[in-house]
Amino acid sequence: MSFDSIPIHVVPPGEPGLTGNAPPLLRELLEMVRRLLETGEPSAIDLSALPLTPADLDWLRDKLGTGEIGVTLQANGESTLNETACPGVWWVTHHNEQGAVTSQFIEVAFVPDLVKAHPRDVEIGSEYLELLVSDL
Amino acid sequence: MQGPLIDTLARRGVTRRTFLKYCATLASMMALPPTAGRAMAEAMAAARRPSVIWLPFQECTGCTESITRSHSPTIEGMIFDMISLDYQETLMAAAGHQAEEARQNAMKDNAGKYLLIVDGSIPLGHDGAYSCIGGRSNVDMLKEAAAGAAAVIAVGSCASFGGIPKANPNPTGAVSVSDLVKDKPIVNIPGCPPIPVVMTGVLAHYLTFGSLPELDDKGRPKSFYGNTIHDRCYRRPFYDQGKFAKTFDDEGARQGWCLFELGCKGPVTHNACATVKWNGGTSWPVESGHGCLGCSEPDFWDGGSFYKALSAPADPLKFAAAAAVVGAGAGVAVSVANRVKKNTAKATHETTTLADLEK
Ligand code: SF4
Ligand code: SF4
Repeated sequence: MSFDSIPIHVVPPGEPGLTGNAPPLLRELLEMVRRLLETGEPSAIDLSALPLTPADLDWLRDKLGTGEIGVTLQANGESTLNETACPGVWWVTHHNEQGAVTSQFIEVAFVPDLVKAHPRDVEIGSEYLELLVSDL
Repeated sequence: MQGPLIDTLARRGVTRRTFLKYCATLASMMALPPTAGRAMAEAMAAARRPSVIWLPFQECTGCTESITRSHSPTIEGMIFDMISLDYQETLMAAAGHQAEEARQNAMKDNAGKYLLIVDGSIPLGHDGAYSCIGGRSNVDMLKEAAAGAAAVIAVGSCASFGGIPKANPNPTGAVSVSDLVKDKPIVNIPGCPPIPVVMTGVLAHYLTFGSLPELDDKGRPKSFYGNTIHDRCYRRPFYDQGKFAKTFDDEGARQGWCLFELGCKGPVTHNACATVKWNGGTSWPVESGHGCLGCSEPDFWDGGSFYKALSAPADPLKFAAAAAVVGAGAGVAVSVANRVKKNTAKATHETTTLADLEK
């Protein structure tokens, strides 16, 4: 059954506009990017932990722009890890299986951790390859 | 069921990335810094599960249902299955003397280290005879199990505050865990039933940091119970504008206006429903058109009708309701009107009638 069949339509109350909470985040990002360059240390901002309205988020996304790489991860719902126009700055959104956003981050890293394969998983992969080779 | 958690999860088809993603979200929900997600994932993946003894007392098994079956199969459920759950009557295969023996062994082998989970309240009337397991009263078993526990987690409103069994006139003399256990750290996870992820959050925190999360004055994890439903309710702008649904099928209800006048207890209820939602984030009570019942607060069952608007201050749900109500002119008017009604209502516990619903 879809929600459309429920005769209550929830009218979103007028979109609250910009709060002014987004611009300081750009400064913080600059610090984070510098730190990444100097020490290689990755970091992240948890967007759901901040009082940001949808308008704030749009503003931020718009400012950061779209980069060359977009990664889609299918793991218990879809996640997208999109590089912004600033290389090393990634916009990360996690959805659950119902498609709802469960958390949202801006990650500063050369490659987000989630994208890298874990050595233990690579081992499992190599075992599988060995199996394939032995069947040749 | 030995070996690190991640291997067991992998056997169930949960990949490392799924788990990492889950931990990132969990850390975010718990208002921990983003780096904590990684730390949690690492600590939990490698964790040898602590022994957990779960004692069900005067309860309806709704709490167990909420956690293990919220929707199939959740990581919450899996983490739960995979904890070394040495005693849980509903989930364990053993029964009778075997089950009681498993409990005794777990308590002996892990003395001082196991986590004790309790759901249900504990009846004290007639020496606890109202609820017994294997011929022993709940109060007796609780005292014995708590003595050797590292910490006690009270799951659900009954274990946390006495819940429905304690509701007026409390025929069995039901009390909460914290009424009886005084010398152990206790975490209350109230709700009728509680939100599954809160449970996992507390466990994750314990496994990662070796400690319990920060608690509020009622022993609830601050990260999940720090705000009221009303603080985070998406209908809040309507409340602020004084737009209230007056019946369940009027124009206001159809427009999704605030449910305050239909008895919503959101302003005095601390829980995470408005942000975490229910059924895997599908919806939650207010979103489906019904006010909050206040199920995660002490004595919610005795707060008068679920369909009477809160008065300011609300009684006996006497929280800082006054503060929440001030600010909306309409809200204040309601509260005054309601106080008059309250005064005429002599009974402390009002039964909800059809007329209340049709108000
Ligand atoms: S009174 Fe209830 S419905 Fe209205 S804004 Fe508060 S929590 Fe939401
Ligand atoms: S909305 Fe209120 S009554 Fe409903 S589950 Fe959440 S806290 Fe309990």
